[in-house]
Amino acid sequence: MDFSDQVQLLQGLLEQYSPSREESGAVAYLVAAMAALGFEAQRDEAGNAVGVLGSGPDTIMLLGHIDTVPGFIPPQIIDGKLYGRGAVDAKGPLATFVAAAAETGPLPGARIVVVGAVEEEAATSKGARHIAATWPRPTWCIIGEPSGWDRITLGYKGRVLVHYTFSRSMSHTAGQERAAAETAVDFWNQVRHYATHYNQDRPGMFDQLDPSLRQIQTSSDGFEEKVEMVIGLRLPTELTVASVEADLDHMAGPARVTFSSEEPAFKAEKNNSLVRAFLGAVRAVGGTPRFTVKSGTADMNIIGPHWGGPIVAYGPGDSTLDHTPQEHLELAEYRKAIEVLAQVLRSL
Amino acid sequence: MATATVECPECGAELQLDEGSIKGEIISCSDCGVDLEIISVKPPKVELAPEEEEDWGE
Repeated sequence: MDFSDQVQLLQGLLEQYSPSREESGAVAYLVAAMAALGFEAQRDEAGNAVGVLGSGPDTIMLLGHIDTVPGFIPPQIIDGKLYGRGAVDAKGPLATFVAAAAETGPLPGARIVVVGAVEEEAATSKGARHIAATWPRPTWCIIGEPSGWDRITLGYKGRVLVHYTFSRSMSHTAGQERAAAETAVDFWNQVRHYATHYNQDRPGMFDQLDPSLRQIQTSSDGFEEKVEMVIGLRLPTELTVASVEADLDHMAGPARVTFSSEEPAFKAEKNNSLVRAFLGAVRAVGGTPRFTVKSGTADMNIIGPHWGGPIVAYGPGDSTLDHTPQEHLELAEYRKAIEVLAQVLRSL
Repeated sequence: MATATVECPECGAELQLDEGSIKGEIISCSDCGVDLEIISVKPPKVELAPEEEEDWGE
C-alpha cells in the first residue's frame, strides 16, 4: 500500500456511516479491505470485523472500534486534513492498524489480529466483550483510540451512571414539606461534597472522583410528585465501582438509586516489552515519546483487566476533536502513526 | 547482581542497574521516586522517563 492507498482505506471507511448498532456496512467494507490485503478476514458472531495476518505462538491483538457517535460528516480532504465522523474516534486508529499490519506483512512467530469492534460508543461494548470472551489472552494488545502519533495512552478512568428516583405525596407549596426536587438537589449536593472530600490532596485529574449532573426532571399526577435524576461519575483507579455504589446507596436514604454503565478505571503497566517497543518506535520516527492517561473510558477498561498482559491504547488524532462537528485527522499524523505502529510490530 | 552505577538526573542519587537490565526499561529512583528510562545499557545511561500527561477525553 502506498500512502494514497492508506488514505483511501480510511476515507472509504469514513464514507460508511456507522453509528452504534448500524455498523454492518462499515464492517463489510473493512472485511473486504483486509481480505484484499492478505488477511483472513470475516465478520464474527457479534458483528465485529476481524482480520488475521500470519500465524505463530504469539498474538498481537490490535483492537479498535468501528462504530461512531451519531452525526454524519461528509468525508473530504481540506488542507491536508481528512474530515469525517470517526476520523479521530476511532476509524483513524483502526485504519492505522490495518495499514501498519499490511506494511509489515506476516511476522515470524506471531499472528496479527485486527478487530473493528462494534458498539464501543453505546456503552454496551458488545464487540470488545465478545472478543474478550472468545479469544485467548494475546501476548500484546493495542487498543485503537486517538492518543496522538507520539503519545502512548496508559489508562482510562472508570465510570458509573447513577439513576436516582424519589417520590412523595403532594403537599401545598406554601407548606413546610420539602419538595421532591429539593430532596434530589440535596442528594446531588451530598455527592458533590463526597467527591470534594475524596479529592482533597489529589491534584491530578486521573486520581480524582468527578461527578456531573446529567439530567433532572420532575413530574406529578396530582397526588404524588416524582423527581428523576441521572448523575455521571468518573472514577479513579483507587475507587472500586462497588464501594462508590455502596456509599451513594447509603446517602440516598429513602430514595431509590440504581446504577448502569459500570466500568472500573484501568491503568496499564509501563514496564514491559510493548511500551518499550513504542518508546523506541516514536523516537525512530523522529518524535519524543510521551505517556497520557484519559478522563474518558474505552474498550481498554474491559480488555485490560480481563486479559492482564501488556496493553496500551494508541492511534493518531487529537482527542479533543472526538464527537465534534469538526472531527478531522491530519494526514501527516496518520502517516507517522502508521510508521510508528509498523515499527512496533516489527520489534515485538 | 549489580553491574553498573548510574546517577539519577533528578536528584543525583547513585543507582545500581541490575544484571539483565534492558534498554527502554523504566525504573524508579530509590531516593526521589522519579521514573527513569534506561536509554543505554553499555555504556549505562538513564534519562527521565516520559511524563504522564492528563487528557480530557477518550
